[in-house]
Amino acid sequence: MANQETKMNSGWADQDHVPGIKSELMELNMGPQHPATHGVLRLLLETDGEIVHKCTPVLGYLHRCAEKIAEGINYKQFVLYTDRFDYLAPVCCNHAYVTAVEKLMDVEVPERAEHLRVITAELSRIASHLIALATFGLDMGAWTPLLYCFREREAILDLLERIAGGRMLYNFFVPGGVRYDVPDEKWTADVLEFVTMLETKKVKDYNQLLSYNKIFIERLADVGVISQQDAFDYGSTGPVLRGSGVSFDCRKDDPYSVYPKFDFEVPVGRGEMGTVGDCWDRYMVRVREIEQSCRIIRQAVDTMPGGEVHAIGLTKPVKLPAGAAYSRTESSKGELGHYIISDGGQMPFRNKVRSPSFCNLQIIEKIGVGQMVSDLVAFIGSLDIVLGEIDR
Amino acid sequence: MNILTEMIRGWFGPDKMSDQMVLILSAVTLATLMFVVMALCALVFTWMERKVAGFIQSRYGPMRTGRWHGWAQAVADMLKILGKEDIIPAEANRFFFSFAPILVLLGSLLAWAAIPWSPNFVSADLDLGLFYIFAVSSLAIIGILMAGWASNNKWALYGAARGAAQMVSYEIPLALACIPVVMYTGSLNTSDIVIAQQGGVLNWFLFRNPFIFVAFFMYFIASIAETNRGPFDMPETESELVAGYHTEYTGMRFAFFFLSEYANLFLVSLIASMVFLGGWWSPIPGTDFAPALTFIIKGVLMVLLNMWVRWTLPRVRVDQLMYLCWKVMIPVSLTCVVGAGLWMMWRGQA
Amino acid sequence: MARYFVDIWQAVSSAMVGMSITIKHIWKKPVTLQYPEERQVLSPRFRGFVHNDMNKCDACQICARTCPVDCIYIETEGKGKDRWLTRYAIDYNKCIWCSMCTEGCPANSITMSHDYDHSVYFRESLVYEYVDPTVKKIPCHKEKRIELGYHVMVKPEKKKPVEKPAAEKPAPESTEADDKGETK
Repeated sequence: MANQETKMNSGWADQDHVPGIKSELMELNMGPQHPATHGVLRLLLETDGEIVHKCTPVLGYLHRCAEKIAEGINYKQFVLYTDRFDYLAPVCCNHAYVTAVEKLMDVEVPERAEHLRVITAELSRIASHLIALATFGLDMGAWTPLLYCFREREAILDLLERIAGGRMLYNFFVPGGVRYDVPDEKWTADVLEFVTMLETKKVKDYNQLLSYNKIFIERLADVGVISQQDAFDYGSTGPVLRGSGVSFDCRKDDPYSVYPKFDFEVPVGRGEMGTVGDCWDRYMVRVREIEQSCRIIRQAVDTMPGGEVHAIGLTKPVKLPAGAAYSRTESSKGELGHYIISDGGQMPFRNKVRSPSFCNLQIIEKIGVGQMVSDLVAFIGSLDIVLGEIDR
Repeated sequence: MNILTEMIRGWFGPDKMSDQMVLILSAVTLATLMFVVMALCALVFTWMERKVAGFIQSRYGPMRTGRWHGWAQAVADMLKILGKEDIIPAEANRFFFSFAPILVLLGSLLAWAAIPWSPNFVSADLDLGLFYIFAVSSLAIIGILMAGWASNNKWALYGAARGAAQMVSYEIPLALACIPVVMYTGSLNTSDIVIAQQGGVLNWFLFRNPFIFVAFFMYFIASIAETNRGPFDMPETESELVAGYHTEYTGMRFAFFFLSEYANLFLVSLIASMVFLGGWWSPIPGTDFAPALTFIIKGVLMVLLNMWVRWTLPRVRVDQLMYLCWKVMIPVSLTCVVGAGLWMMWRGQA
Repeated sequence: MARYFVDIWQAVSSAMVGMSITIKHIWKKPVTLQYPEERQVLSPRFRGFVHNDMNKCDACQICARTCPVDCIYIETEGKGKDRWLTRYAIDYNKCIWCSMCTEGCPANSITMSHDYDHSVYFRESLVYEYVDPTVKKIPCHKEKRIELGYHVMVKPEKKKPVEKPAAEKPAPESTEADDKGETK
């Protein structure tokens, strides 16, 4: 909507509004130090007043050569580098990597370990989505939901700390299983209790406080509309793709781990408040995914079998046969893939990461044009990018 | 004012000073008093804002400085800010850059003169008091525009342009919302407006007329926009424009903006309590023991309401802000003016 | 026109709902902790600063090799029975608290403690030294260790905890180790 209107106006800058006075586009440097760019993303904007005419993302401020490092350390050690990709949902990133390694290694992961993986990954996904809601609210100027979401995230961190030992970077998965079993019987009960609390009370609170607030809806409806075709063209995945009305979820459409066992829905954008694929849809997909994750966790806890939690010993080195494997998993941001080429040693020959934030971000060059600066902020927020994953 | 002149006359002896000298002296005393009160209010309100935000957000807010709930936090912050380096960007326009904060502060300071604190204490008992307040408080627009332009920063310029558009627009519903009240009193004198509300809570203008009740909320929303606070904090918009028009300001100059923000907040709250909530009259007739205190308590309650709104709602976009002003608030305020007039005729209150 | 009034109504009502939620929190007890006085209850698996019990360590170098960021420095001198551990240091500039060193340790000497809030003035002080060779060197060879009364790794089939005698001995601590108060 805003898109079309402003496209018509895009000739303004070249014309003389007032005879004799020439106006020109203003170049604006948004980031790397900017509160709305979620880290160190830099956007080079060309603006005509408030309207953005050109938007070029500049990346690389957080580049840590993770893919190159992978070639120098063994498979077990690299798991904890994957924690640092998407530091808001580290367990999901672990999952992608160990899936790739196991594919190549051809190892049977114990059922209990798979269940623990699903539980922690979904907890991590909830935590990540909570941050997405929180920071999105913050971008829109609502401060209070930020603290509420962080409060609930804190409970998740406590749960994950009890099972994995870390509060932010867990290093919980190992090729062939998970590092530890549940700490005590109370843990599963606490997980269920938290999930119920989140489902029944908190999500409702967020919806009332933020999602269905009129100002919030007005800010987001019909803003930054990504059409289905655009989403396909730019390789968007995850909530960004689902926000455009495409029901695609790796957990469902290309199942891995024990996800096929569980019954859950894939929420898609329905254009309730405006066009399908606007910022509000993408936001709402995340809220609904929190509820679905809760469902998955409940089922996973209920059906968790006993037994071992790692197939290979923790201390044993992992050696992969020569070959290549690609895994695709659904992280909280979208399809996260690891492509590993092994030459038969303890270290990979090459490890390529397909990170969802990176692929989701590129669409900004197209959709960002013609929006107001405030809408661009909303758009970036709705993409929910994590710079740690973009730059790796 | 009269009491003060008498006092000064008394101190120096009746014949020692000319009338002009006494007048100037009392004016200076009053101005200093007002400034001190304003600075103190700003300090209290910064602390209060943090505590309110804290408790709303399930946390404590400042707890360390000064032992009891961090009461000295604002004082400590002020002292810190005084010690900060004063930076003027190399390409900035030095004169306007340094003049802007003073202008902004001046705008809010001048308006304080016409506030009727109690039946016999109003610094400047002007016949056009309300009009004067609205007139001088719009000085801040010039200051903000000046600050944004002189900083030579694009973000600051955005903030200033937005701020100017917003504040100019919202002056209109702000003033329109007060017109029904002025229709009742037939005077713009601030003391007269308060005196007209004598006799308990039902005689406050807020409850005298349903249209004034609506006008009060129009006033409230417009006053949030006038003070540049959330959800209408367009000139600052931390998440979009970094810090808006005061991006480049540091130290004392920043403190001036900060001070004026909270002074303005209290000012609009006091005006609300003066115009709609019966000023210094207590809710129950015959219990007007501490008029000034009653007045201040009403003002503080309005400030709290303001803070509550700020920490709840998301921010509107700049074009929606304009929409809200020109297409919603001005028509509604105008309707209130007409409706209040008709109501007065019907009930024979005119 | 109806849309106009519906919009206004929605704006007012949703704002009221939001405000009713925020006001409820004013009377709730805040969830944050007043940090230095109130401490979080840490889970047993919490990974704090690494602690190495120098009585048990025999410089087998497994931890240093497992470490993905090479933050453990081990230096020895001599050979065979006369091999001595002269330096065991953990560089917290690099350490990422992954706990991989503790998993491989055959003597269970290296563990994750529950300390998490050390601070130092200089980067260099983040390299925590565990052995001061000028005070005491640690023997590495098994026989020498038994001879000098150090803890020796027990074969798993024995299933007998031998931590007790080792724990009685005072840990050889360097001056550096004193500074950081590295006690579990």
